[in-house]
Amino acid sequence: MPPVIDPSKCVGCGTCADICNSNIFVFDRSRDKMPQVKFPEECWHCDSCVLDCPKGAITLRIPLAFTLLHVDAGSLKPQEAKS
Amino acid sequence: MIPVSKTIDADVVIVGGGIGGAMAAIAASESGAKRVVVLEKCHVKRSGSGATGNDHFSCYIPEVHGDDVEPVLTALMNSLVGQAKDVELMRLHLLESFDIVKKWEEWGINMRPLGRWNFQGHALPGKPRAFLKFDGRKQKAVLAEQMKKHGVTVLNHHPVVELAKENGRVCGALAIDASTPDPSFVLVSAPCVILSTGLTHRLYVNGTTPNYLFNTAHCPNNAGGQALGWRIGASMVNMEIPYTHAGTKYLQRAGKATWIGVYRYPDGKPLGPFVTKPDPEYGDVTSDIWNSAFLDVMHNGRGPAYLDCSENTPETLAYMRKAMFDEGLSALIAYMDAKGIDPARHAVEFTRFEPILHGRGLDVDKNGQTTVPGLYAAGDMVGNAGCGLGLAAWMGWRAGHAAAADAANSTGSADLASNPAIKAKMELLSSFMSRNIGAEWQEANIALTQIMSDYANVGPYNVRSETLLKAGLGYLAQLREETNASMKASCSHTLMRAAEVLDLFDCAECIMRSALERKETRGNHKRSDYTFTNPLLADKMLDVTRKDDGSVVTSWRNMKH
Repeated sequence: MPPVIDPSKCVGCGTCADICNSNIFVFDRSRDKMPQVKFPEECWHCDSCVLDCPKGAITLRIPLAFTLLHVDAGSLKPQEAKS
Repeated sequence: MIPVSKTIDADVVIVGGGIGGAMAAIAASESGAKRVVVLEKCHVKRSGSGATGNDHFSCYIPEVHGDDVEPVLTALMNSLVGQAKDVELMRLHLLESFDIVKKWEEWGINMRPLGRWNFQGHALPGKPRAFLKFDGRKQKAVLAEQMKKHGVTVLNHHPVVELAKENGRVCGALAIDASTPDPSFVLVSAPCVILSTGLTHRLYVNGTTPNYLFNTAHCPNNAGGQALGWRIGASMVNMEIPYTHAGTKYLQRAGKATWIGVYRYPDGKPLGPFVTKPDPEYGDVTSDIWNSAFLDVMHNGRGPAYLDCSENTPETLAYMRKAMFDEGLSALIAYMDAKGIDPARHAVEFTRFEPILHGRGLDVDKNGQTTVPGLYAAGDMVGNAGCGLGLAAWMGWRAGHAAAADAANSTGSADLASNPAIKAKMELLSSFMSRNIGAEWQEANIALTQIMSDYANVGPYNVRSETLLKAGLGYLAQLREETNASMKASCSHTLMRAAEVLDLFDCAECIMRSALERKETRGNHKRSDYTFTNPLLADKMLDVTRKDDGSVVTSWRNMKH
């Protein structure tokens, strides 16, 4: 579930936890080196954390249930009659 | 008992630091209010539905549209944000909108990404266009900076959970300090409160992913303003008129007018009569006009419906991609890129989403003044004065100025902690924190969506009736009682969500009581026991108000032209 923080890039600045539109992060600086995604199911994929992370350490993983349904545009045409 | 960590005296308190709230705060400060406090649930730099952008601002610019505002007004009234609104307020919005646009440009928001005033999207071919195409990516950061420059006090991570009233006037607000895992209460005394909490989701079973509450087209964290107004006795309007948005499936996203394409059946035939080839000037307005289009094609078996952008030139596709960033759709673009979904080659299925409260809520005058003295509202939670970004910015601006003047002659509560409503809410929320075993907030929220989707659902494929709505109200009362007695919270975050559920209950009650009173079918308010649309109600608006003793009264008023 989104977002995913790359521990090799995160510098523990806490920006994502501070600005998250859904308050889904918890960052206990006395205990953790980087914010924890504590309430992932409350992410609405607004992308704020991705955009504001100064190190580009965050990506969103869109859940399978949210798959974007699509087809080849060329398939949108009358189907051939079956003989 | 959860401790009180702060008490604050303010002149104007703003609940929610989104577009409307930020504009209200800046305006109140410009009008001379010394102590302007914004209580924001998340963080003003990225809160609300405008968190990462927007690309259309409802606006009238004489040098573009000509000297007559009326054709633009007609276009705006026919758009999604104009449904069942007071024409007088919509006209005033348009007449004053260019001043707001110029202000935003001066502050550093890119209102002319093409170097000229460009109006596109949500428009009918051959008709005036009411939406200025702009680049809203920096809008929240710019407004946050302006609030700072104007000396506004911003308390991020402070959701407001109750308002207080004394002698018939609003006098303060109760917030939770959710900046740390251990919650505390913050009491803010003020003679004026401006509500600007945005639209409200999570009332109905999710339209694309029934097992998920937060897959929403707009910010799902906003439940609050309508309920705060309802509990304090402000009149609510249009709560029974359903609003549904539409967009991509299954991932819900707003911004359908940013796409440049044609809605098509699987056989390639266009759904609507408006465009047969992609047109950047108008987009495909079919689903704005034919609200149930995407549901209809599933129910009649001719679907699904796709948005096909493949006939655009590479230049137009590049333009559309850039506009999607302006609109705040960067997450969608990143996802499509990662999955190889390319609008040049792929058509994306579209669907209708679940009902939300968008442009349904408080009944206000031209200054955002509600029917409760001292209480103002702006933005998507206003019921009669439009919704969407442009209207939120405009109404916030007016409300801020009006509240500052109002506050100069009034005072807040001298003893907020003793106010009965504040005291009761503090005790109830504290009981949630003291409980180790009980219901999680999600249980109560899901239970509510079930009740609303079974007993107060919307057309064209669901009906409301007196027996269904009365049953729904009965089940809601049971749910509310059981929730109050059994809900638990373990930290400031879950406490915030628990308080939101209480607000959603009030929104639901207001919807159902309003729906009971509207004894006709109008739009997607489909009554099986009143199947006709009553012409006598065409020019009327229904006000529903909760009195201090808990009783609910309804009244009809004329729409203001």
